[in-house]
This record gives sequence, structure tokens and C-alpha cells, in this order.
Amino acid sequence: MALKRKIAYIDLTTGEIQVKPIPVEIRKQFLGGRGLDAYLLYNHTKKGVDPLSPDNVLLISAGLLAATCASATTRTHVMAKSALTGLLGSTNMGGFFAPELAWAGFHHLVIRGKAEKPSYLFIHDGEIEIRDAGNLWGRSTTETQWAIREELRDPEVKCLVIGPAGEKLVRFANVMTGIKDSGGRTGMGCIMGSKNLKAVAARGTMDIGIAHPEEALEFNKRFIDQIASSKVNQTQGTLGTPFIWGATNSWGGVRARNFQYNQCEFADDIEPERLDEIATETMGPHHMAGCFGCQVHCRARYKLPSGPYAGKYDEGPEYTTLGAFGAMPDCRNAETVLTCNYLVNQYGMDNLETGAMISWAMELYELGILTREQTDGIDLRFGNDEALVEMVSRICGRKGWLGDTLADGGIPASEKIGRNSFDYLVQVKGMNNLHSDERATPALALNVATASRGSDHLRSRPAIDLYHLPEEVLRKIYSSPVPYDGPLSSDHTVYEGKPWQVFWQENCYMAVDCLGICKYHTVFLGPTHPNFEDWAKVIRYNTGLEFTPKDIWDVAVRCNTIERMFNLREGLTRSDLKKGDMLNHRYFDEPCRRGAPGVVGRYIDKEKFIRMVDELYEHKGLDKEGVPKPETLKKQGLESEPSHRL
Amino acid sequence: MADEDISTAEALRKTRTYGKIRCQNPSCMGRIEPKAGQTHVKCPECGMEFRVHWLRPDFPRIRGPVWEVNRKLAEEALKKKEKER
Repeated sequence: MALKRKIAYIDLTTGEIQVKPIPVEIRKQFLGGRGLDAYLLYNHTKKGVDPLSPDNVLLISAGLLAATCASATTRTHVMAKSALTGLLGSTNMGGFFAPELAWAGFHHLVIRGKAEKPSYLFIHDGEIEIRDAGNLWGRSTTETQWAIREELRDPEVKCLVIGPAGEKLVRFANVMTGIKDSGGRTGMGCIMGSKNLKAVAARGTMDIGIAHPEEALEFNKRFIDQIASSKVNQTQGTLGTPFIWGATNSWGGVRARNFQYNQCEFADDIEPERLDEIATETMGPHHMAGCFGCQVHCRARYKLPSGPYAGKYDEGPEYTTLGAFGAMPDCRNAETVLTCNYLVNQYGMDNLETGAMISWAMELYELGILTREQTDGIDLRFGNDEALVEMVSRICGRKGWLGDTLADGGIPASEKIGRNSFDYLVQVKGMNNLHSDERATPALALNVATASRGSDHLRSRPAIDLYHLPEEVLRKIYSSPVPYDGPLSSDHTVYEGKPWQVFWQENCYMAVDCLGICKYHTVFLGPTHPNFEDWAKVIRYNTGLEFTPKDIWDVAVRCNTIERMFNLREGLTRSDLKKGDMLNHRYFDEPCRRGAPGVVGRYIDKEKFIRMVDELYEHKGLDKEGVPKPETLKKQGLESEPSHRL
Repeated sequence: MADEDISTAEALRKTRTYGKIRCQNPSCMGRIEPKAGQTHVKCPECGMEFRVHWLRPDFPRIRGPVWEVNRKLAEEALKKKEKER
């Protein structure tokens, strides 16, 4: 049974390993995956812990439903205090690792300490070994995975690994599995590197008993039909996530040239349809693949058609890659985007953060804030494709003054560069903003400003706000499982009702992160995708646990609160531009200059934005400073945290 | 079937539309229904022009703007808004 999956406590300093069951009472409060990880992080770290010290804990988990008969229960979650932000570090990836971890008998790993020498963990059918990784150190993410499979003589072993970027403590290094499945936000690869942990390998053959198998399979058929028939997923299954960037760029909702423009014009060579043509030309018509148990198949496979790595196999690129290595640095060539995608995948580095850091540096260079001496003679102008590719490698290798500086992340880099460089760094809580431009979309601006792990679209973004859905459809979605009769608007340029949408989505995303389900199977991108009431059935049929939709909502609210408590403990304050729920001044001061006629001239009204934050806090049961009220903690059963129950 | 009741997500399925695309101007958002195989459309409401890609013969999507046309519209709109500020 899924509920028999265990938690392992691994001390890399002493080599001690303890295995414990996860009590059902804890499951009822936190489910699993990200939510239970948040509980564990709050309980197993002390205030002010140095993220790179052995005392920081690294949490790796599968969701409650991993490897069951539910669709797309593929997600692996990784959490720790972030060395990039100094706040909550949390990242989530697809692929095949989480089900393998569950088949090996575990749902949660709590890793502390630091191995004396490079090591990796091998987890197999209830056993955990700490093994030598001396021969793996320095290898790319792909090479590492193949080397481990060869060493263990089992091609079915699934691995989470770091690449050279994690070893060199690049603050935004990824944890990766497969070719491109990336735990790519908040630098969890850096935390693995700091622990001398090169990889976690899993192989399992332990059965996951299903509580009600016939009902589980039957319901999943309905689930699959609902997912696979939606237009958005049919589009993703053809073009992958780049379709989102293409659509957003059409109307003027992407960042270009750092944050100077909101549209990348004449970007035909990096449009999703062009990338699809390249994948078709190099891999054939059936080049889309999927993660474990998923019917969407949004993963493009291709070979680089040209350039220094021509002929190399890679996967992606993703929505974020087009922003990171296309619009942001204003390099509108497919070859450049695909080359950079290949490099960050091999190095194990966050494409989003890497592209944003380089584009920020490009703006500073053009403004004269960065000098040619500081760039080692590189002409770091927007549109210089060669300079972009070179900087990707320099950051990974911490090569040169600028490569080393940028590898430390935005805020430390701005302090080192000085002058008014920070003004141009478009970040929240120390993490660069996504490559979307939210100046014309107040709901999305509220989302990036208040997301728990720093600026992010996968925490609370009401993306369907862009679909111009009729109000009655919005009301059906947003009035369940808790009633809501406040304002809801189909117009994505207005402010009214948006805090509720952000609050609702925050809980929706947390729920599926606890269950381990991919967000493409939720209301994230499709109003007709499954929802709280569907998940209640999925949980019951697969695990036997009885949850009402409202129960799942309550768990999600509780887990979001404990993430908030962690951030507050580590220094979050409401309006702090470096550690708070606040946006860069450019959102308020610089209107959009490109895009559709209804977009140009738009910017975020600061007073209205502050009122939206106030309202969101009210929904979340926080006071004006963003701190949970005592009655909120009591209602959510968090008044005694840290409770050290697990 | 394990459970006969229809969830909100399933109930909303009837709201899906096929063969149409929306104008991407947020102050318009009108429905445009391209003819089969048509690769270029103009919004009859606001004048924005788009290139069309067909995922399937019955499934159009906007590939991107007609850059020169839409840039001109954006510049005019921006000029007007700046005057009004």
C-alpha cells in the first residue's frame, strides 16, 4: 500500500540511517510530497541555518500517489533552505524517479550532514547504501546517470543527479533526472553539492497495493479522457510547453531584453512551430515523449541541427528556455536556444535563472554599469549569441570575474557589481522572475510577488485568467470546494477578484504537489482539467484514505501556511524588496511598450497592487504584515509547530 | 463506471469550443473562425492580424502576429495612451 511507504533519515557525516513509518495522522495533515516536506523542513532545521552547512537538511520525496493507478503521479519534490534566496528552497520535476523511489519502499528522504568524499545513495527494495562517487565527480548529468547504471549493472535504475554546476556550488544549480527533467528553481543542486552528494539512485520492485483497484482504474479512464481531450493538452502533446511562450509572446506578455520590452518581435525562428519542425526533421514525426503514467506527452526530443554540438541528442526546450535564451538576451536563433538548452541540461543549471542573470548583465553592460574589463573583453550586448553561449559555460565553471559573480545569484552579484545594478535585477525574494511580463496582468503580478519560493509561476498562477472565460465558468471553478461569492472577472487586466484566484490556485498547486501529480493535469492550464473533487476520489480508490474535497483544500492551506512560517522565521518581511512580497519598481514605473493595443501602456498600479496583497493576506488568515494570526494557526492545527512528530 | 456523478471539470467540458481562435488583444478577445487551411487572419473587431498554424485539419491556433501590422497598431495605441496620461 502507498501508505506503507516509509521515511528514511540519512546522516552523510556519520553514515547513520534510520527508517520509520509515516503515521496516518501525519498523512491526514500533510498528505505527502511537498506538503510533508515543508513540515519536515520546519521541524528539522534551526532558525538561521547556513544553507551550505551540514546542518541544512535536504528533503527528497515522492507524492502520496506515486506509482499508483492515478495518472501522471510522476513528480519528485526536493526541498531545503535555499542558498540562492536564504528562504524556502523547493523544486519539483517530472520523469520516472518518484515512482521508482516508491517501488523501492520510500516516499521521503531526510538527508543531513556532509559526506567526507563524493558519494551517492543507492536505494533498492527497502535498503539504502551510501556509495563512493569519486569516479562520477566532474561528469555531466547524463554521463553520471549512465555511469551509475553501468556500475550497478541495471539499466532500469533511475537517478537524481547534479552536474558540474552543483559541484561548483552555483547557487542556481539543478537536481536532474533523465535528459532534461529538472528540479530547476532555488538551487537544490547546490545543496546536494555542498553535501558532496552527487546522486540518489533508486530501483524498486516492491508492489504498491491499490486499495480499490477496479474503481481506481475505471476512474482513471475518465480522468485520462478529460485530460487527453482538452485543447491545451493536445497542443502541448504536439508542440510541448513552448506553445505557451509562443502564445504569450503574440500578445505581449513575455520579458524581452531583461525587462525593457514585453514582446520579442520577429521571433519566427524560435517559435514553437519552428522548433517542432527541427524535432521532426531530426527525430521523425513521433518525437514527443511523456513522463511516467502521463498521457499529455509534452516532452520534445530532438538532435541539435547545427552549431558546436550538432548531432547531440537533447530534450525540450521548455517554455522557460525560449525566454531564457531567446527573448531575454534578444537572441532569436533556434541554434542558440537549443545550444544553451543542451549546455544547461548537461551542466545541471537552471535555464531560467541562467538566462535571466546573463540578460541582466547585458543590460548593465549596455548601460556602462559593467565594464568590458569585468566581462574579460566579451562584448556582452543584447543579441550577441556567441557571448550568451560563452557566458552559460563561464557561469557553470565560475570562470572569470563575471562568471563567478553571476554564479552566486542576483542579490550577491548586485552587491558585488555595485552602483545601481540592483534596480535592474527583476527578482522576488532573491530569485529572478519568470520570463513572462506581468505588467498587463495584475493577477499574475500578485502571483509572482507572493509565491513562497520566490518569483514563480508554478505556485499560485491563475494562468486561466488569460483565457477570457465567462464569469459563470470562473464561478464554478473558484466557488468550490469552499464557497466564494466575491467578484470574479473575465478581464485579465483588472484587479478585482484576483486575490481569490491566486489564493485558490495556491491551494490547488499545493494539493497536487502533495499528491505528486503533474500540474498539467490540473486547472493550471485548462479550466476543464481535474479538480479537488476528482482528487478526493483518486485518493480513496488508490490508498483507501477518506478525504473530502474540502479536506484536501484544508491540507493545502495548512501546508502553504507552514511554508510561510519557514520563510518568516528566515527573515521574510512584507515589503522588503529582497526578501518580501514585493515587485521590482519597473512593474510600477515603466509601461509596456509592445504587444496588443490593449496591452501597450499598461503597468501595475502600486496602490491597487498593495490592496491586492492585503486581500490575499486576509484570505490566507495573515495579518497586515503577512504573519499568520494566532487564530489561523489554531484553526489549522499549527499552533504547536515545530512539534517534532516525525 | 465507478462513480456516476459528474465532477465540475467534466461538467465544464461542454463549454469547450473547436475550430475557433480568440483575438489576442485583451481589449477585444473576439472569436475568429478561420477557414480550413487559412494561414492568415484579421480580427474583424480590432484589426490585429495573425499567422495561423493548424495542429490538425480541424484545430487552428495562432502561430504569431503579423509583426509589421501589429507593431503599427501598438505604436498608434501607445501614442494615444501617452497623450491621455
